[in-house]
Amino acid sequence: MIASVDYHESTWNTVPHRFEAGTPDIAGAIGLAAAMDYLEALGRDRIFAHDQALAAYAYERLGELKGIRLFGPRVGRAGLVSFLLADVHAHDLVTVADQFGVALRGGHHCNQPLMKKLGVSSTARASFYFYNTRAEVDRFLDVMREVQRFFGVA
Amino acid sequence: MSDELNELYQQVILDHSKSPRNFRRIDPADRTARGHNPLCGDQLTLFLQTEGDVIRDIAFQGDGCAISRASASLLTEALKGRRQSEVRALFDRVHRLVTTGGGATEDLGKLAVFAGVHRFPARVKCALLAWHAALAAVEGQTQPVSTETPAD
Repeated sequence: MIASVDYHESTWNTVPHRFEAGTPDIAGAIGLAAAMDYLEALGRDRIFAHDQALAAYAYERLGELKGIRLFGPRVGRAGLVSFLLADVHAHDLVTVADQFGVALRGGHHCNQPLMKKLGVSSTARASFYFYNTRAEVDRFLDVMREVQRFFGVA
Repeated sequence: MSDELNELYQQVILDHSKSPRNFRRIDPADRTARGHNPLCGDQLTLFLQTEGDVIRDIAFQGDGCAISRASASLLTEALKGRRQSEVRALFDRVHRLVTTGGGATEDLGKLAVFAGVHRFPARVKCALLAWHAALAAVEGQTQPVSTETPAD
């Protein structure tokens, strides 16, 4: 933001206003406040507990699969699970899962140094939030079995 | 099972990804090129043995998904015995096939199995990685090729 504009010179406003260009993101700020109210009403502790319970359940259920490799500790994890299925590349896994309506992330997660340490080129990752349910984790497991059938590794 | 999925992972592709052909080094090779897909971590090295313009032998090594392995495997079959000067034209046709599903495929042979890729935009780069490397190899490019250009 400027204080004044002339033909050959401008005077910048004082800090911090000089670093704010144009109209502030008013709609964005109102939207963010609404989102925060929404999450506070749900209860951040409850959301955290729900995510953790789903991740723990998914971790446990994934253990049933033949050739599964689970990354990270069983307990004390965030609301997500990274894994690999033997003889199925993570990208093939997520493409097939997507066709069954399950959205996963596949790849190096912008973290090649960790991939190198783990000795893999990529992993598949399921992540959970407050709108996910245990039934969806069960569905996710069914789809992982479909993936294994599809690639003939079941 | 969706038809699109079966079209993407045709039996030929599954077969070549499980048992890639010409999956070895050629040492010494007349030409080599490295291809890298930084978004997914796929990488491969192509080795060519040439005699004049003719590609006498071609092989690859590397790590990648089923689509990229099968593509590299089928590429080695397609290019063995071909002229290096033909690679650019073939690259263009494969590029068109995997990005649009279009173009004549009668004389593409087994490469036609990649027609299903165009319905999966995220997988186009997997199918093209080996082709980028082949182009770099015959055009004498020494830097590793990336599916991502700096301008991306």
